[in-house]
Amino acid sequence: MKLFNSRFEQIAAIVRKDFLIGLRRRATFAAMMMFALTAVASLSLSTGGIFVEEKFLAALLWVVIFFAASAGISGTFDDEAQAGTLPTLKLYADAQAILFGKMIYVFLSLAALTIFILPIFLILFDVAVEKIFLLLMTILLGLIGIAAAGTLTAALTTSATVKGGLFPILLFPITLPIFLPAIRLTEISFAGGVFDISLIVVVAVFDLILITAASILFDYL
Amino acid sequence: MNKILILLTLAIVAAIIFFVPPIKGLGDLAKIIFFHVPTAWVSVIAFFVSAFYAAKFLRTFNFSFDKLSARAARLGFIFVLLSTISGAIFSKLTWGAYWNWDPRQTTIFVLILIYGAYLTLRAAVSDEKTRAKVSAVYSLLSVLTVPFLVFIIPRMYFSLHPSPVLNSAGRVEMDSIVLIVLIAAVVDATLIFVQLMRREIS
Repeated sequence: MKLFNSRFEQIAAIVRKDFLIGLRRRATFAAMMMFALTAVASLSLSTGGIFVEEKFLAALLWVVIFFAASAGISGTFDDEAQAGTLPTLKLYADAQAILFGKMIYVFLSLAALTIFILPIFLILFDVAVEKIFLLLMTILLGLIGIAAAGTLTAALTTSATVKGGLFPILLFPITLPIFLPAIRLTEISFAGGVFDISLIVVVAVFDLILITAASILFDYL
Repeated sequence: MNKILILLTLAIVAAIIFFVPPIKGLGDLAKIIFFHVPTAWVSVIAFFVSAFYAAKFLRTFNFSFDKLSARAARLGFIFVLLSTISGAIFSKLTWGAYWNWDPRQTTIFVLILIYGAYLTLRAAVSDEKTRAKVSAVYSLLSVLTVPFLVFIIPRMYFSLHPSPVLNSAGRVEMDSIVLIVLIAAVVDATLIFVQLMRREIS
């Protein structure tokens, strides 16, 4: 058995492992994508033809991302928990490498989700994006935060016997400091106008706080 | 201690009903503010107490700290519900609506969500050891939102809420008797919380 020396190699190996498992069993991925598609389609259908305010659209986009992400990443640690391989994994890689490997994998799946759902959302709601760079920046920072908080939350809920709905309940209050500024920024990116740079700083700082906290707290699990 | 607390509480209730002058233009129900402020205070205190014991548990793995953390959260949940309802009633009297997502209403609502999530998590994990660890981690994680709720949200949204301790706007005039009664009520509520926390250990 090849032993991984540096932490970066360990992290990369875990990302690769999860990616391969994800490809082999496409169910989680497919569920996340279809969840997002269903949500966007139902929202767009029911508001069809009505003018929807940018503020509301921005909120809808983040609600869809939040719940689709919940559907997709709540089971991040379930494979290991069910097979009982987490202790073994911890023998080969240290806990921090596992956490960051998982976090990067979660971030990549969320990025894939957004790449899939954002164009559909923009087309179905006929949104003219005024500031595309701001929108992408906001989504990138938002997803980093969701990935950091979501990975730790997934580790928390793995041992729960009642799982239905638990993950979004736990994740929402933690990520609210990301959502509120992100929704505001998304609204500005749709509608145009001046934006407050401090909102971006808030999201970025909170991302860092979440990553640091996840890293510290994961050791106690 | 219990008897003293009951007497103190009765005395404060009596003072609120008989000594505190009615608030101008708001009617007698507006005296619910004397209930709202202390319960809001305790619900925030309980949140930090819960997180404090969660941290202590993670450092020592002593399960009595876990019990205290859970106890504080359960009490906090009750207090935050009481505070939210009484606040909504006062809001209806002064602002004309029970709820309008004023920054402070947002803050208190997030607090309800956090308490609710924490207690749901505890209920969902059956293994005692895992439950203690997992809920302690969540408790500490949720503390991270506090600076955001306290410093960022009020900057993002305009607030109508009076300043937390004293009202400088003069909408509800505070004379010394009102202030004394209010402070006494806050102290009383804190003592009730402390007493309820202590009961659980013994």
